[in-house]
Amino acid sequence: MMNKKIRSIVLVILCTLFTSVAQVLYKKASGYITLDDPWALLSNYYLLGGMALYAVGAVLLIVALRHGNVSLLYPIIATSYVWVTLLSKYIFGESIEALRWLGVFSIILGISFIAFGEKEPMPLGVEA
Amino acid sequence: MATQVWAIGLVLLASFIGSSGPIFLKKFSPSLTLNIKSLWNKWFIFGFIAYVLGTILFIPALKGGDLSVLYPLVATTYLWVCLWSVKFLQEKMNVQKWLGVALIFCGVALIGLGS
Repeated sequence: MMNKKIRSIVLVILCTLFTSVAQVLYKKASGYITLDDPWALLSNYYLLGGMALYAVGAVLLIVALRHGNVSLLYPIIATSYVWVTLLSKYIFGESIEALRWLGVFSIILGISFIAFGEKEPMPLGVEA
Repeated sequence: MATQVWAIGLVLLASFIGSSGPIFLKKFSPSLTLNIKSLWNKWFIFGFIAYVLGTILFIPALKGGDLSVLYPLVATTYLWVCLWSVKFLQEKMNVQKWLGVALIFCGVALIGLGS
């Protein structure tokens, strides 16, 4: 029987994979947004794609929240910064500054503190 | 470009509003089923609106400033979510978790500086 806390954390990390790609799409989308034509937003495929991925991420997050505290699971969303950095380096070939790697490390450390600092028993009576 | 004040205000507002999203989704979470009608639920709708508002406010702000300034501002979301969780969801924070939040905040600030 898998620990519910671990399962929730894994679900959230999976969620961040989707939202990270969505963030990349949003960044591309912002380059196409003008104030002249708000309806153009509807044909902004980067925006639509980002929203779709966010939707999938949301479902994963909601399922995770059934069995985990928000104060535990939401900070784990910061994992998306890790994914975006890795995506930037290995997919888009960007060079990553040392400061950014330091930031990534600090985030991972912070998430570990929270994960191990979460002492509450997971909520009862909420079965997946 | 120097970060515009409007962009700072926009990001702070986006983070504040967006931080209510996870709280609403937590309230909604027991009600999610495979039936899409389960989404017709006040908690989901509030949460959805919170996330959409937060996103809509945030995207234009990206054009108005440095990531080195905007990123830490976005990171205030984590602070709000933890505060709301204590107040509205009866969750418990402790020194270790707050330290973790602080480390995440520093990490985000460093990433903003390094971008």
